[in-house]
Amino acid sequence: MFNLLGRFSRFVLSLLLLSFLLGPAARASDWSDPEQQLAQKITAITGPGAVSLDLVNRSSLSQADIDGIRSTLRNQLSAAGLTLVNPDQAAATVQVSLSENLQSYVWVARIQQGTNQPAIEIVSVPRVEPGTPLREPAVLLIRKIQLWSQEDPILDVAVIDSSPPHVIVLDPNKIAMHALEDGQWQLEQAFQVPHSRPWPRDLRGRLVLRKDHLVDAYLPGIFCSSAPGAALNLSCRESDDPWPLASEQVTLNGFFSPTRNFFTGALAPGIGQERTVPPFYSAAPIPREKYVLWVLTGIDGQVREVDGVNVQTLSRPGWGSDMASTKTSCGSGSQVLVSSNSDGATPDTVRAYEFPDREPVPVSQPVELGGRITSLWTESSGSTAVVVSRNWETGKYEAFRLTIACGQ
Amino acid sequence: MRHFDLRLLAASSLVLVGLAHAARRPQYGGTLHVAIASTPSSLDPAALGQLDAVTCRNLSSLLFDTLVTMDDFGRIRPALALNWQAHPGNQRWQFRLRPGVAFDDGSLLTPGAVAASLRAGNPNWTIYALDDSIAIELNSPDPSLAAELTLPKNSIVKRLPGKVSGTGPFRVSDWQPAKKLVVAASEDYWGGRPFVNSVEITLGTSARDQMMLRELGKADLIEIAPEQARRTAMEGRRVSESAALELVALVFTHQQPSPEDQKLLDALALSVDRASIKNVLLQGGGDPAGGILPNWITGYEFLFSTEFNMVAAQQRRAEVPYAPAWTLSCDPADSLSRLIAERLALKAKDAGMTIRPISTGIGDLRLVRTSLVSVNPRVALTQVTAALGLPPPGLSGDNLEELYKSESALLESHRIIPLFHLPVNYGLSPAVKNWGEKRTGAWDLGEVWLGTEKP
Repeated sequence: MFNLLGRFSRFVLSLLLLSFLLGPAARASDWSDPEQQLAQKITAITGPGAVSLDLVNRSSLSQADIDGIRSTLRNQLSAAGLTLVNPDQAAATVQVSLSENLQSYVWVARIQQGTNQPAIEIVSVPRVEPGTPLREPAVLLIRKIQLWSQEDPILDVAVIDSSPPHVIVLDPNKIAMHALEDGQWQLEQAFQVPHSRPWPRDLRGRLVLRKDHLVDAYLPGIFCSSAPGAALNLSCRESDDPWPLASEQVTLNGFFSPTRNFFTGALAPGIGQERTVPPFYSAAPIPREKYVLWVLTGIDGQVREVDGVNVQTLSRPGWGSDMASTKTSCGSGSQVLVSSNSDGATPDTVRAYEFPDREPVPVSQPVELGGRITSLWTESSGSTAVVVSRNWETGKYEAFRLTIACGQ
Repeated sequence: MRHFDLRLLAASSLVLVGLAHAARRPQYGGTLHVAIASTPSSLDPAALGQLDAVTCRNLSSLLFDTLVTMDDFGRIRPALALNWQAHPGNQRWQFRLRPGVAFDDGSLLTPGAVAASLRAGNPNWTIYALDDSIAIELNSPDPSLAAELTLPKNSIVKRLPGKVSGTGPFRVSDWQPAKKLVVAASEDYWGGRPFVNSVEITLGTSARDQMMLRELGKADLIEIAPEQARRTAMEGRRVSESAALELVALVFTHQQPSPEDQKLLDALALSVDRASIKNVLLQGGGDPAGGILPNWITGYEFLFSTEFNMVAAQQRRAEVPYAPAWTLSCDPADSLSRLIAERLALKAKDAGMTIRPISTGIGDLRLVRTSLVSVNPRVALTQVTAALGLPPPGLSGDNLEELYKSESALLESHRIIPLFHLPVNYGLSPAVKNWGEKRTGAWDLGEVWLGTEKP
């Protein structure tokens, strides 16, 4: 038990460290280089003397950043021999505009000396990625920890509780394992995923950590598995093997269409008597005393509850296509995380539901992602889920671990 | 509060968009019905260049790919080229091709075919076909070559007598020049089969007829004029809006404005009341433009004046003893241009100048509308000056300061007075899903799928 707790604590610490390392935007940015460059350019034009300095923000920089930039610029100009005075006493007026374009912050100094044409000096700085706000919900809490971020689509991420911590990232081209070394993520191994035919659009894929070997990866028409041992020694083959639909604790597999983005409806071994169900995007098990109730999001937009005897259809227009089940120590002990069917004006969300009877009941506030959700899978442990969304502001794909915590 | 402007940009688009995308996964099948005004007579991207830049790119992207593409953030992404490398000095570039890609006639994409296609549109480039890649050698360094290769004119096309073949997400199934284009999903497309089975595009459809088709549920995607966009959205219809990327400008058609011409053009620029035109004629749409490129692309456009100052205009006019009457031409089929031209003439009169709008021929001044098809500022400035017949900007580096100086020099040449940057708008049916709003107004119809909602 102590060992388990120790492992758990180490794991949580690793995740917190991971979150810290992947969320640099939360910290103050370092503007010293552009501040110095701009101060030098201004000084080169004005020379030492009395100048007035006005700073205008036309960008998305925070007030704290703006205040810091203003203060540092003033200091740098003073250190270079300029005396900052009011405009009516100044030999030159300097207006600094903090602007931006798609890829850079653009800082422009407009320097007016007498009746001459104003001189323009420009410094550009690559933009910094934004942080993602975390909204605290009530009742049960969904906690969100950023695991990974990259420009290529992320299909799934698996976190390995090891020392040092590792993450495996599945994307359309490769399966890559990264280790946290000296506070930096280092690529340890990467394997190209071979595929003889083009991937379908809305490509989906899943990583499942295994006990007897490191990981299995499922992609449409392709199955990859690592050799026994801790290394990521993968072999891939064309395969129509069914994909696991939940965690290792609940064994139900579904056949995934090799040319589409959904499960065909053929199940192995089946839900009770049911060997086939209508095609679906995702499935979540809800353990009952004597059976397992499965909730499926159909490609026809219907939500179905299948218990092995009956199939019941629910209309849930607010639900998206993705679900993931979690086993927790909160509430009934089993929740289903459901993506929103958002209207596109707001970022997608994930909300936790319980099924006391057959009617789903929301048990958390929705947690907001930074954009459109592209993937939601239960992690191998069964107690957490990994959600991937594409950030509207950066265009990057971001993977988060979702953990349900008991509310106050 | 980071990225405030871009968020505003996104929000302003998305508020109008409505159901842009949702967490519902895409469904396959169906035919997307499109109606547009353009009447292309050929599908060759070289010929499509006669159309406006946005339509050219959107039609071209259905059938053809480029070596690389540019995402909405201005980043270059792989397409037919998997990776690329610029040699030191940016004068020689090498692009490694994606293996296993086929043209729609079944032949494989080869370095030779790519080289032949690019040579046709770029006679000044020296292009070598290598084992699995091509190399491009330029006469002078070009740090933006990859961005330039994203332009439709650089689509990879296999030209056969009477036929063009591409590697794009769709294949032609019915082509009636200037009337109708039907394309079917390419099952083996390297980027994945499109979700819709086919796209049917009715060409040469007037704005009024487009709106009617949309109302009758016979068109899923139509064009909406910038001045109609706000009203259409307020009526509860679904409208998609790009960033402001269409330049409306006055171009002085004489090659070398005399000192007197320059003073008069200064006076004309000061007499333009952009705020009033925006409110009345554009119905609140678009952004007053002082620069050729919009601020969201450069970050410095605010440095260029959009000041309306009739007193200063009159004073500047008074510096020229005799002001000739100038004619102002615009596209007679474009009602917005006509209205703007009339408004400009009215204000110029207040400043003491005579500007006479004409509906035929080329005037001393031209009111032009041209779309910026790239969000790379260097490529955009080069492209827009070429489209307007202005001297090339003569850029050698990839430096924002140099770009600013080039654009300033163009404006100081008095050949162009920017007026507005307008967005590109589309009307969408509720059935259109995963529209994927683009700043550039680009279609990505391979990603679109059709929901079950009835219009």
